Amino acid sequence: MAGVLIVEDDDELREMLKESLTRRKIIVLEATNGKEAISHFKPSITDLVVTDLIMPEEDGLKVIMKLRELKPTLKIIAISGGGKAGPGSYLNLAKALGADAIYSKPFSISDFISKIEELLNIEQVL
Amino acid sequence: MKNDLNSFADEKNLSDHILDNSRSMISIIDQNYSYVKVNATFCRVQRLAKQNIIGKTVGNLWGIDIFQKNIKEKIDLCFTGETVRYEASFKTPETEIRYFEIIFRPVIYEKGKITNILADTLDINELKLLKGAVLEKEEELRKLETNLPIGFLRCDPDGKILQANQAFLKIMECYDDKSITNQNIKDFYHDKRFFDVQYDQLIKYHTKNFGRVSLKNCKGVEIPCRVSGFLAIDDCNNPSFIEFAVEDSSRELMLENRLLQAQKLETIGALAGGIAHDFNNILSTISGYSEMLLEDMPKNSPMSEKVARIQGAVLKAQSITNQILTFSRQLEQEKIPVRISEVLNETIGFVKSSIPSNITVKSFIHKKDAITFADPTQLFRVFLNLMTNALQAMELKGGTISVAMTVVEGVLVKHDLKKDIVADEYALISFEDTGVGMEPSLLTRIFEPFFTTREVGKGTGLGLSVIHGIVSEMEGEILVSSRKDKGTIFYVYLPLTKTNPVLSDNNEKRKKILFITGNKYESRILSLALENARYELIYVSDHNHLLKVMTNIDERPDLVVYMSDSKKVLPEEFISIFNKLETATPCILITESGHEFLEEKLLNSGLIMQYLIKPVSLREISNAIQASLK
Repeated sequence: MAGVLIVEDDDELREMLKESLTRRKIIVLEATNGKEAISHFKPSITDLVVTDLIMPEEDGLKVIMKLRELKPTLKIIAISGGGKAGPGSYLNLAKALGADAIYSKPFSISDFISKIEELLNIEQVL
Repeated sequence: MKNDLNSFADEKNLSDHILDNSRSMISIIDQNYSYVKVNATFCRVQRLAKQNIIGKTVGNLWGIDIFQKNIKEKIDLCFTGETVRYEASFKTPETEIRYFEIIFRPVIYEKGKITNILADTLDINELKLLKGAVLEKEEELRKLETNLPIGFLRCDPDGKILQANQAFLKIMECYDDKSITNQNIKDFYHDKRFFDVQYDQLIKYHTKNFGRVSLKNCKGVEIPCRVSGFLAIDDCNNPSFIEFAVEDSSRELMLENRLLQAQKLETIGALAGGIAHDFNNILSTISGYSEMLLEDMPKNSPMSEKVARIQGAVLKAQSITNQILTFSRQLEQEKIPVRISEVLNETIGFVKSSIPSNITVKSFIHKKDAITFADPTQLFRVFLNLMTNALQAMELKGGTISVAMTVVEGVLVKHDLKKDIVADEYALISFEDTGVGMEPSLLTRIFEPFFTTREVGKGTGLGLSVIHGIVSEMEGEILVSSRKDKGTIFYVYLPLTKTNPVLSDNNEKRKKILFITGNKYESRILSLALENARYELIYVSDHNHLLKVMTNIDERPDLVVYMSDSKKVLPEEFISIFNKLETATPCILITESGHEFLEEKLLNSGLIMQYLIKPVSLREISNAIQASLK
């Protein structure tokens, strides 16, 4: 069973992402901000992290760096909806820091799920 | 006096004494132009004894040439009874060249006839020099007064204008400088009582800076001015006159307003960017759940259409949040060197194909090689938006859009661009229409997001704010000027780069790419981006054309890009043509998100080497093309 940590400060969005993954039989862990994600990180049961980039407390870039340090094999997907320094450049930074995929909000959830399944090496059920 | 007189032998001695002590050279000349009598000053200047002068002619003494040329006619004139006065510069044995005033007077009459004249020659060199210096100073002052940008005005205590300099006339646009002295300074005030207030202050303080005062020029137009006053007092402590210094501060005011406006846009941008960010979160939730809903529904459910509509609305909302992010300069542009004239010509061509017959498009494009760093899609959008605005302004009565492009030096437009650091050169592209124009009060607001002069529901009012964002992101500037009922001009300044957009060397043969597409707009943008990047592009939109291109061996492309919107080339037709030709040409498929199943046949045909799902960036397309051509 693969575990995915979702780091997102928007409750509804986090809930939606969680539901889309649990129906694919993926275990979902949640964090509402970067600080929580780092302090509650459980490397043994987390294979992939989906993180928002602009969040209160620690931002997504810090999450990416810190969690990769804690678990180098961790797969990472960064998502962002713009604002502040610009989603393009923020997402590109995330990619430069080693994110395996980036998504600009709003994105197609089916693309997103396929990407996660691909990264987790889960056989796609067509 | 009587006693003094006694010391002289007679009156003749007295007059000789006076003559000898005169500062002038004085002589009596007879009809033969000979000296009959000279005074001591004359002898001293000539360095000759009296007896050596008497009897000599004027010509002997001053030279025959000078006498014939300059002196003779004046002496002759004097013998007719006229007093002759003139100035001349010459050298004497005692002095270098100096200025003299010469007066010839007829003096001795014999039986009513003039027999002699008196010549009086005074050294006026010092006077002349002083006069010259004064004139020079006067000229300097006059120049200063004329060229000084500060208007100067003197009026009496009642406000009647006594004197005004050129700058004042220029500021007030008074071209009849004679009539100004018939006017009263109060005529230039909106409210005449304002002058009285200023006058009271001048009585109290004598000199006073009144700050910014709005004056009415000779044409009745309001001009923002900086005004200072000085009150002059006479010996009896009464006001004798008032002087005003008037500076035109409209430019200053305009720059201030522009700065304020820029700050306002920045603030709104930050605010709107934040809102767009939140909205993107909300849209993600909506789109995610609706996708799940679709998945959960049985195939062919009547509800799936409704869910598709929700997804459609999400896409629409996303395009608005993207526009807001562009306006607030938070969406990264993919910049490449772009030849501006190409994008401009593309836009003009695109617009021309769809304009009503009562509108004419004129273009004056100079400096065709000017290159800027830009995202060609975005630049196309800027030009298209400005041209569309112009078309809309002329919707009712028709008219002309003039598009002009030239190159200007950065230093020359520094002020206009309100930038401290400017590029060496800018492309200046102007879009001028003869449409309805705008009130000046609207001009300052048109770049604000959601500001629109159109009816509610027609357009989001984001257009100009978005292109302002794009141009600012390019370190350029967009300015506007407009007159109600006359028309509007937009000026776009784009910094130029020296980088050459053509990356290939000429020996290398350009690769041919065939695009199969039904979307004219998209193909134009693609061509802008890719032609710069060393490819030769061919477009086909229907089956027959495709067949024609593919069967001609010479024209056969190196790569084929098939866009899923090609309604006149169906996937089956595409497969059949390519299978028949047994070509090994690599193909790329670009398809809409969610439409992949439509191209299932294509993907299974083995023809497609790569496929991309929209929205795709130019860079992604460019990368895919490069990979496929290897």
